[in-house]
Amino acid sequence: MAKTSLSRLFASLSEHSITKPSFTGSRSDSVTRPAYNSVTRFVCSSAQETQLIREERSNEGDREAAKENLESVNKEEDEGEDGDHVNKETGEVGGPKGPEPTRYGDWERNGRCSDF
Amino acid sequence: MGQSYKQAIWVPSVTFNGCLQRELSWSCGVSKFLQIRKCNLFRSRTNENWKSFGTVITSAYLRDGSTKYFDFAVIGSGVAGLRYALEVAKHGSVAIITKAEPHESNTNYAQGGVSAVLCPSDSVESHMQDTIVAGAYLCDEESVKVVCTEGPDRIRELIAMGASFDHGDDGNLHLAREGGHSHHRIVHAADMTGREIERALLEAVVNDPNISVFKHHFAIDLLTSQDGSDTVCHGIDALNTETQEVVRFISKVTLLASGGAGHIYPSTTNPLVATGDGMAMAHRAQAVISNMEFVQFHPTALADEGLPIKPKKTRENSFLITEAVRGDGGILYNLSMERFMPLYDGRAELAPRDVVARSIDDQLKKRNEKYVLLDISHKPREKILSHFPNIANECLQHGLDITQQPIPVVPAAHYMCGGVRAGLQGETNVHGLYVAGEVACTGLHGANRLASNSLLEALVFARRAVQPSINYMKSSSLDLSASSLWTRPLVPKSLGSDVMHKILRITKEVRKELQSIMWKYVGIVRSTSRLQEAEQKIGKLEAKWETYLFEHGWQQTMVALEACEMRNLFCCAKLVVSSALARHESRGLHYMTDFPHLEESKRLPTVIFPSSHTTGTWSSRQLHQQPIVKSMV
Repeated sequence: MAKTSLSRLFASLSEHSITKPSFTGSRSDSVTRPAYNSVTRFVCSSAQETQLIREERSNEGDREAAKENLESVNKEEDEGEDGDHVNKETGEVGGPKGPEPTRYGDWERNGRCSDF
Repeated sequence: MGQSYKQAIWVPSVTFNGCLQRELSWSCGVSKFLQIRKCNLFRSRTNENWKSFGTVITSAYLRDGSTKYFDFAVIGSGVAGLRYALEVAKHGSVAIITKAEPHESNTNYAQGGVSAVLCPSDSVESHMQDTIVAGAYLCDEESVKVVCTEGPDRIRELIAMGASFDHGDDGNLHLAREGGHSHHRIVHAADMTGREIERALLEAVVNDPNISVFKHHFAIDLLTSQDGSDTVCHGIDALNTETQEVVRFISKVTLLASGGAGHIYPSTTNPLVATGDGMAMAHRAQAVISNMEFVQFHPTALADEGLPIKPKKTRENSFLITEAVRGDGGILYNLSMERFMPLYDGRAELAPRDVVARSIDDQLKKRNEKYVLLDISHKPREKILSHFPNIANECLQHGLDITQQPIPVVPAAHYMCGGVRAGLQGETNVHGLYVAGEVACTGLHGANRLASNSLLEALVFARRAVQPSINYMKSSSLDLSASSLWTRPLVPKSLGSDVMHKILRITKEVRKELQSIMWKYVGIVRSTSRLQEAEQKIGKLEAKWETYLFEHGWQQTMVALEACEMRNLFCCAKLVVSSALARHESRGLHYMTDFPHLEESKRLPTVIFPSSHTTGTWSSRQLHQQPIVKSMV
């Protein structure tokens, strides 16, 4: 009896095994991006976070150029440098180099999110 | 704005009877309900051996075979546990019991920051407002006020203890601004804030002569007794997983700071230790549990299943893809390359994180797929590589070029907003038992946690529990023969290695199965029918597992790390399901397709009271309170 119930258990477990989808990995066609600008006036009734993302994005154009410069400078700096690094934009000492980690609301470093 | 809580949704014990929802008004506040009284079982009498004020305590912990005696026992070595230990150690002997290496905790992985009002242009009211809005108005306003008010002092203390945070070139702390915050108020140490806090606290702990750290000691069950209708906590049983010995800790006061339960789900940001041990132990010990339905997910964790070269070992914790990828123009597709976000929200990929998470979850469940795709490959290659080198490297190592192909992503469980119900002093309904950190439900987070509030909550409540703990400790004394009141857990040497091997193997499979059920039926988008199905499936799975164990000679009081974690995972999973079934509305992190709207009348916490366990599973009873009947079949 035990063996049968066990094998049933194992049988039901194997149903959950992962099947690989047949994804060809082709590049997407050019996608028309939605008119984000027209959505900026949308008032968020839930979390304030969207409003913040909006505010960040509306300033983004101005700061984009500055960020690019900062990045190219920072890229040349030694990654192993300790706390002497001063962020030119924010005046932060010893902080993460590159673009502001929270510019999209979450805390990110080089693409990996570590806090949100 | 919410009013302070006088009501709650009360849910009877976690069983398969379904959940009734009664709104009970209690005219007294939580703190009165959780009034601390002297323990009558052990007579209150000053015992000179325990007097510790101003004297060195090193000899105060007595050893009696495998029983140890301490004034304070702390379960967990994250920020809450360590912070508390450092304070109470000034008044008595402290044992920190932690299941792995001391730094192995969710704290260590909390890299972003701690939030606090540290800028003159900021205000406590603003922080409170942001917290309450994020919490979908389910927060306990008193808890929010306390945390936001006391936060700044807690940060200053951390700095005084040697934690080193980033500052501006003006010498002041640098404050970042995260989503949901209307001011810059995130204190951080580059991108490893939690680790820095953990480091500073651990250093202080190691140097404190009154604190003994018992690492690789897995907490099994709280030791409790009944004093009339009150439950009293006297300590904890633990398994030394290195020596396979059971150690009994008798303590006057116990702090539960054991963190989260991410591993009830298959994809989680949490380290492996986060198996909900504290929530389960507390529930078994008759502590009240609250708001377990509010599980926070991150929408886009790297999905290993979608990588051409799978990682050799299962990743312990998820690699989260930042919102910046979507912010910079990344598009989400399902596996048929259909762009789905516009179907759910006019903001498409820029919708709030929780909307994105729900949309992805919905697509995955509808299509029965394992992950979706986040495509940034249409952007210039140089930009992708300079903005997201971390993602690019990680994917490339596994055969994926993100400048050419989309990134496979799946939501990952991140934080439990609910937990053991705590009053404003971290007290619980179990006398002598306090809670702090992620294991607790203080009412701060409500239905959704605001970014960087979790480290703050841990710091504030750990500190608040200190004085009440000291007072309680001073008013109680221990009978040294108390140790024999409870049956000792048993290491299963008698079973032999073959049987143990089988048991470990089946337990591993059962864990995966439970995680699969939780993700499939208790994910981000829920419904009554799916939750009920989860309840059924979990019940069956638990019964199968327990039957297997006991048929192979497992005894009620036996312990092994994997088996004990499994019973804790079952317990937590059931708490989440029960709580989710009880909330007939959608609020914050809890979304129900059959109750898709907010209901003002339901703006109440979900509360689970355990019933007396004369029946029930092995997972739902304390080890030493197992029924006399030996057979479980």
